[in-house]
Amino acid sequence: MRFNRIAAVVERHLYDARHNLERVTDTLYWPVMDIVVWGFLTVFLAQRGNLRPGLISFLLGAAVLWGMFRAFQRDLAVSFLTEVWSHNVMGLLTTPLTIREYLSGLLIINLLKAIVGTAAATIVAFVFYSYDFFPYLLALLPFILVLIIFALAVGILVTGLIVRYTTKIQSFTWSITGLVMPFSCVFYPLTALPRPLRPLALALPTTQAFEGLRQVMAGGGLSLARLGSGLALDCAYLLAAVAIFDWLFRAARARGLLVKME
Amino acid sequence: MVLEVDHLTKDFGSCRVVDDVSFGVSEGEIVALLGPNGAGKSTTIHMLLGLIDPTSGTIRMFGKSLQHHREEIFGKINMSSPYAGFPSRLTVLENLLVYARLYGVQNRQAKIHALLGLLGIDELEKRPMLQLSFGEIARVRLCKAFLNDPKLLLLDEALGGLDPYAATLAKEALMQLQRQHGTAILYTSHNMVDVEELCSRVVFLRRGRVIATGGPTEVTRAILREDRKRPALSEAFIRASRSEPHEVQ
Repeated sequence: MRFNRIAAVVERHLYDARHNLERVTDTLYWPVMDIVVWGFLTVFLAQRGNLRPGLISFLLGAAVLWGMFRAFQRDLAVSFLTEVWSHNVMGLLTTPLTIREYLSGLLIINLLKAIVGTAAATIVAFVFYSYDFFPYLLALLPFILVLIIFALAVGILVTGLIVRYTTKIQSFTWSITGLVMPFSCVFYPLTALPRPLRPLALALPTTQAFEGLRQVMAGGGLSLARLGSGLALDCAYLLAAVAIFDWLFRAARARGLLVKME
Repeated sequence: MVLEVDHLTKDFGSCRVVDDVSFGVSEGEIVALLGPNGAGKSTTIHMLLGLIDPTSGTIRMFGKSLQHHREEIFGKINMSSPYAGFPSRLTVLENLLVYARLYGVQNRQAKIHALLGLLGIDELEKRPMLQLSFGEIARVRLCKAFLNDPKLLLLDEALGGLDPYAATLAKEALMQLQRQHGTAILYTSHNMVDVEELCSRVVFLRRGRVIATGGPTEVTRAILREDRKRPALSEAFIRASRSEPHEVQ
């Protein structure tokens, strides 16, 4: 791995952010809008007395972190799609840049975006809904890591699918988290799911992260069991995503799709 | 040999688009890869660039297998192809800065300014790519292709769309690169005048097979089956395109 090549990928996307208002929209607009909507909902429920203490923290905290997870996964795949849309894939693949270096560059740039977006959402929640995320931050950081690694795995998988099946399936970039969300127990506990669906939910790192988040916010401290399960699942999904990506990339190269990707 | 292509074959399903192609390119040599549309030129170039896996055969560059030494080899080669674009909202300079960093070019700004000047597009530096004409983009592609002073340059229709002045500048730049760095160039084009002017050797493909190879005059003679003193590649090209492959082999 060469640092200069990873830095080149970061530099390319920083230039893109400078010229493309859409990138700013993706980074700031949606995380802030999510929090505004969830904030109003919590205010409404609180006014009607339907909200037990602590639930505001659960809902807004979950909204912030789910927004971060979704944005991270989406932006990783969109970063690759921008190369496809601009016919730049061929240029990049014929430089010494390796796939690992490319993905590392995307990881860095999207981590920066996720930090900016999550910070903006947190500030909005604090200013308008008096929701203070910071006392929990330290205890939540391990679960944020669990979410980021899973988002990376999903992003790599979607990118691999785009490489193999081209832009025909690019809508996966925006929709795949919707498939994961109902089983991730983002806004409700695992026990709210029908019993047959719980094993599926437990197989997702997102469920482990949001269950852990609720325990932290309820004052139950850091659950090492949830964290351990989340990280172990992350490792399995990441390894599987990388293996599937390599397989899809080889299949695309054998079929000559890398030069006709649009 | 800078490039050795040995029995290269590519099948897409039941369709064989490159059929047992072998040739080599030595240091400092400019070789044209010619043939009618669908002859397999671009597929061959794309296999040389590692974008398409061959069905069989081997590709060696600088004595090393492309399959096993991709990263090392790609640091020493470059390419220009009309299929390769640039992020359109980035400026010319930004795009070239990114590529220069990918190739580990020292003193990026100075190198880019020198190349933009060489190709007569220094005034385009701050323009976004989407504001450029087709010919201007072709010149930016050539700047990108020259960034790492490549030892092997793969040019697929690189001078297409250039006006006569720009084409002259581009050809001068190519010759300068070849003289200064001993760059070997593999060149595909449908402009036979350019090929006769630039290339010392021609590999002529037809339906995926090499049907003639040698100097431009030799290839002319082989395809026309006449004793010619000068190259007439346009004429040979038309004859080869009309004939069945076995008629010109």
